[in-house]
Amino acid sequence: MLQKLIKKVKGMDTEFQEYASKFESEINRGISTLSILSIINQHGEDGAYGYQISKDLQEQTHEKLVIEEGTLYPILRKLEEDKIIKSEREKEGRKRKFYFITTYGEKIYNYLSGFYSILTEAIAPLFDVSVHLKQNKYFYCPACSNKIDLKNLEAKYCDVCGHYIEKELDERGLIK
Amino acid sequence: MNENSMDYSVREYIKEIGKRLPEWLKDKKEHKEILADLEEHLWSKAAELSETGQPDEISVKLAIEHMGTPQNIAKEYKRRGEPKYYITKELWPYYTRALGGVFAVIVTLVVIGLIVSFFTGNGSFESLIGGLITGIQSGLLISFAIVTIIFVALSHEGYFPEDFKSKKDLELMKELREKEIEDGVSAQPLRKPLKPFIKPGGTIVGGGIGLIFGIILLSQPFPTYMLLPDFIAILRIFGLITMLEGSLDISRGILGNRRPNTHQALHVILIPLKLSVIPLLGILMNHPEIFPFFSEPWIHVGIPVEFYDEYRAILSVIIAITCLTTIENIYNIIKIQKYK
Repeated sequence: MLQKLIKKVKGMDTEFQEYASKFESEINRGISTLSILSIINQHGEDGAYGYQISKDLQEQTHEKLVIEEGTLYPILRKLEEDKIIKSEREKEGRKRKFYFITTYGEKIYNYLSGFYSILTEAIAPLFDVSVHLKQNKYFYCPACSNKIDLKNLEAKYCDVCGHYIEKELDERGLIK
Repeated sequence: MNENSMDYSVREYIKEIGKRLPEWLKDKKEHKEILADLEEHLWSKAAELSETGQPDEISVKLAIEHMGTPQNIAKEYKRRGEPKYYITKELWPYYTRALGGVFAVIVTLVVIGLIVSFFTGNGSFESLIGGLITGIQSGLLISFAIVTIIFVALSHEGYFPEDFKSKKDLELMKELREKEIEDGVSAQPLRKPLKPFIKPGGTIVGGGIGLIFGIILLSQPFPTYMLLPDFIAILRIFGLITMLEGSLDISRGILGNRRPNTHQALHVILIPLKLSVIPLLGILMNHPEIFPFFSEPWIHVGIPVEFYDEYRAILSVIIAITCLTTIENIYNIIKIQKYK
């Protein structure tokens, strides 16, 4: 399904391999969907087609997260079914199918990417690594972790949980 | 490999994937869309792998190799639903319902078979009871195996309950889903959860006791020579009614807190069944002499006349209780309405 982060080292016993591979898949399942969504979000109004998403993912993750075709398209299909993304097929030429994030999808993506970022930062010490959130670029809602881009900051309330964020923004000197 | 043979290789590869996609996808528009996406992906990959930027013989071959076997690609489309043992979480409620339904049908059929055998005089009481237990046991085992195999196969193929729904129902579901999204991400309706309307375990045990008691009264595996024929006949009819009531209660227990409509229908059947006991009690009230009352050694003498009033009072109380239990059935029919 995904490129194995744990390589099949010669001599690695089967039981270990099976366990590691199962665990890897479990970890990767949600991350893959979120990463695909992130790529589609990056492309904004231009949209992205399947192969482009796959290439971008490989490049941006330095080939650490490679989603195979058999996995990519079912994920895209599920996201479209859940109205997180929408698609449009080219009318001319290769008739590629371009995927775009919906307004609802953007809301879901901001919330999940905020949640994932906060969680990653929180668990980082467990593995003796450091993760630093870009606090100068994003504001993470203290109540629900929703990621709010400071460039687009207009509302005083978190659009997911309705938490009043003005006070926190003021304390951090983010309100001009 | 010229352009035609490249096209042919790609077409054949895509055709192979198409053949291996799950059955539930095959009649849908998505089937074509999926194959078109994969074909486009393959050509893009081949173009990138080619030195000239245009797909060629080697790059098409390489792209096919990179994409993997058609089986592997199609396999992912079958991976739908959350695994719960070997049956997905999505199909699990339907599996338990199917088992419940099939079990109820089997128990009913075996009991009907037993009644028919009893009245046609085929076999002794012991052999009939033996047949009942063996019939239920083997019926349940076989149906359990068949239903389980079907649901494991459906889960393996990635079927969801909506794949069996009509287009009209699917449209309705889609509209509701869109409405939910319009209402907002966190707009979950807050509704106080309803308490279960039935305790399945207790109902099955109660029904089982009723069924056994009914069978005993119907088959009368005790000495009856000292009872009057009219009383024996009343006992048999009463046994049959109790047996049917027991079977219906077992069915309700097996259904559990599902299918409120069926529960309501079963309560509707139970009301006349319960009320049918009243004429029997009426006969006993008007003919106190047939009620067994013995003097030693087991000689029927009938209830002494001076106790007739007490005897009738007891029967009146039983009639009143019977009527009250039917009110409970009516109350249940109304109560279950909320669970629809």
